[in-house]
Amino acid sequence: MALGKLKETQRRSITVGFLFEKNKERLKLKPLNGESGFEKEVRDKNIHRPGLALAGYVELFTYDRVQVFGNTEIRYLKHLSLKERLKAFENILQFAMPCMIVTNENELDAEMVEMARKKDISIFQSPLETTKVVYFLSDFLDDQFAPQTVIHGSFIDVYGVGVLLVGRSGIGKSEIALDLVERGHRLVSDDVVMVTRKGEGILIGAGTDVVKHFMEIRGLGLIDVRSIFGIRAIRFQKRVEILIELEEWKQDAEYTRTGLDHESIKIMGVDIPHVRLPIFPGKNVTVITEVIALDYLLKHYGYDAAKEFSKRLDAAITEKTKGKRAIDYFEHDFE
Amino acid sequence: MTEREVTIKNKAGLHTRPAASLVKLAAKFKSDFFIDKDGFEINGKSIIGVMTLAAEQGSKLKLRFTGPDEEDAAVAIVELFEQGFGEP
Repeated sequence: MALGKLKETQRRSITVGFLFEKNKERLKLKPLNGESGFEKEVRDKNIHRPGLALAGYVELFTYDRVQVFGNTEIRYLKHLSLKERLKAFENILQFAMPCMIVTNENELDAEMVEMARKKDISIFQSPLETTKVVYFLSDFLDDQFAPQTVIHGSFIDVYGVGVLLVGRSGIGKSEIALDLVERGHRLVSDDVVMVTRKGEGILIGAGTDVVKHFMEIRGLGLIDVRSIFGIRAIRFQKRVEILIELEEWKQDAEYTRTGLDHESIKIMGVDIPHVRLPIFPGKNVTVITEVIALDYLLKHYGYDAAKEFSKRLDAAITEKTKGKRAIDYFEHDFE
Repeated sequence: MTEREVTIKNKAGLHTRPAASLVKLAAKFKSDFFIDKDGFEINGKSIIGVMTLAAEQGSKLKLRFTGPDEEDAAVAIVELFEQGFGEP
């Protein structure tokens, strides 16, 4: 098994203060009642529009989600008298909501803001449309609550393909990564790769905040790839597209000879193409890694070398033309 | 599989030098060695991995050893933690 047992972790909650801090620029959030309720926790990645709850139907009110007040909610409240409006608002305030976001720069009555402050519930105002707020916020929350795991390996962007190199400690992953960087490819992370599952079927790998773009080369120590090679040599995140497992050449192990059958491995439930690469002195793993990435690109664009070769062979067998020279006549070309 | 739990004793925590002595010691054994801090698990033979933990004084770590010499590895590595890496 290439990766052994992977421990999946998932964030249970984030604070409202954190949500505000991370989204205040993108969503142009303005807190209406100061920092009250910033310590409250969001535990659900879904968002709720409290229209029906405001109208009085609170039976299925998913109050523990971020509540977004769009035009519907605000227009509904506006058509009520001030007294009814405050009553409707008070009715939903009895539920422990994490925070509220009012979109389209809509206003709430000062009384409402004060009522929410007393309950320690933050209200943020955004000038963006509801669809945009919901889109950005869903993406953010999806990411925050996504399952994560740590993989011991080197993660490099090779010709735009995210290649994750794994193998036992000391087999030379970092050295190959360094070699790839020297050839113009970009390092995402060495040794500790945090992999996050985004949506369905997408894995995104990144480094960690402490060791970003540092690597250890045995016999040399720690080096900072960004300082040595510059900004062109790094990137912060990349989709994981191929897993290359390095192992010592074993005489009795079987390796693929044609590439007709594609092996894959499951990482957090996502299938990733898996290449087992035996290494031995004199084998240029860097170039092979580049070729693996390029071959992946070819396949992505619809060309499978192993299949094409196989087709050609089948044609030769049926036409009985095997063993012929590739060129019929050399036409006085003595070069 | 052998599992142990240790606490960081020295004041400065698991900083660069203790991390180096830890991975050097771990490399002497054939067994795989993993460290878990709050559900975040790294390879204990990788210095970058160990430093990623940024384990401060008092933090609890779960150690996991698997391999032919896991018992010996566990004894030696737990002792290094117990001594606080020879630091105050």
